[in-house]
Amino acid sequence: MWFIQFFKSSIGKKWLMAGTGCCLLLFLCSHAAGNATLFYSLALFQSYADQLHSHPLIVSIFSTGLLVIFILHIITGVLLTLQNRKARGHDYKVKKRSSPNSTASSTMIYSGLFILFFVLIHTYVVSFGDHSQISLTISYLFSSFYVIVFYITAFVVLAIHLSHGFWSMLQTFGVNHPRYNTMIRSLTYIVPAFFLLLFTAIPLLFLF
Amino acid sequence: MTTTSINLKLEIWRQKDSKATGNFETYILTNISTDMSFLEMLDVLNEQLTREGQDPVAFDHDCREGICGMCGAVVNGIAHGPEPETTLCQLHMRHFKEGETLVIEPFRSRAFPIHKDLVTDRSALDRIIQAGGYVSVNTGGMPDGNATPIPSATAELAMDAAACIGCGACIASCPNGAAMLFTGAKISQLSLLPQGHPERKERARSMVATMDKEGFGNCTNERECEAVCPKGISISNIARMNREFVKASLL
Repeated sequence: MWFIQFFKSSIGKKWLMAGTGCCLLLFLCSHAAGNATLFYSLALFQSYADQLHSHPLIVSIFSTGLLVIFILHIITGVLLTLQNRKARGHDYKVKKRSSPNSTASSTMIYSGLFILFFVLIHTYVVSFGDHSQISLTISYLFSSFYVIVFYITAFVVLAIHLSHGFWSMLQTFGVNHPRYNTMIRSLTYIVPAFFLLLFTAIPLLFLF
Repeated sequence: MTTTSINLKLEIWRQKDSKATGNFETYILTNISTDMSFLEMLDVLNEQLTREGQDPVAFDHDCREGICGMCGAVVNGIAHGPEPETTLCQLHMRHFKEGETLVIEPFRSRAFPIHKDLVTDRSALDRIIQAGGYVSVNTGGMPDGNATPIPSATAELAMDAAACIGCGACIASCPNGAAMLFTGAKISQLSLLPQGHPERKERARSMVATMDKEGFGNCTNERECEAVCPKGISISNIARMNREFVKASLL
């Protein structure tokens, strides 16, 4: 099959990684928009959650789709890591990196696995909890200092993951042109910083 | 210009043949003129080793003027050494300090088996070229050179891609052992020019397929290749290859 052939190739896998990453980034945007209601009041956030769950069909379609995309992103990432370690073969005695932002790019698998760990805990506690009481759940959750530290750590790791992921996604899609490269370079910092600030502000809201 | 000389300690990967395990050997070199190139320094070492009755260090080289792509080794963790956009043969000893230790390793990748010491088999790159690095030419009379207009900017981009000498430094430095900068440059060079258009799709498909078959890794956009490339090949060529491959496979 032509599309299986495409996704089996090295560039196809790259596209799969970037395509699923793009979907996850869009999900992150909608998640951030929902969370932003918390800046207004807990009651508004609760009514947003109630509204959302009053459409169970939409919620189940989107969450199943999200799950599939998330699993594809993880499987491709792990597969790429394993294949690439094999392709590298013997390592050098002296290891030196010459590229920009190599900390983020060389630790994508680790930052990714940490985000997976966070998502598993977060969905277990929040998403599979009682939706009608979600504002109480998060108030209780963020009353603990350690929970706040765990959440903020996860957001920092997410920002590091995005600092390579966002640019890398565009490069994979072939978006590399002198006209846009300056803008893309600044977005590489703006996009992760935006999510970091927005998500970090929420637990801090409960702290102060 | 004053000529100074330095003393060096070399740690070189020695491997008898492709099947041997290999290990690092340490050599002391004294009075190395800073006007020498890196390969001339290795020549001095080899003369010294030959006089002592030892096996000289095998390394690849040909033109020694930075255009053939034969030379190359990883010096202190950087392919072709510390000078940007410089091949190993054009790297001069004036860039090193007195008493410095240089760790010299072969270009490593699963697709580059080691023949001996610093000599690796990079014929996988030749097979990528063979898969699609050609254009159709009509037989008959000689066509007029100016019959096909090519915008200057396009010609320059194609020339930038064609500057690739196929040394393999991109693969040697890639944490994934991927050959995308090389293949991207080769695909770009021909797809940018009208002469390369008849085989455009077939070229993208078969060169990428050969690249994957030869055991190179998958690119994860780490940008090490661009940083060490002695010819300054840009990763915009990889972006172009991504577009070419998707157009060829899906459209």
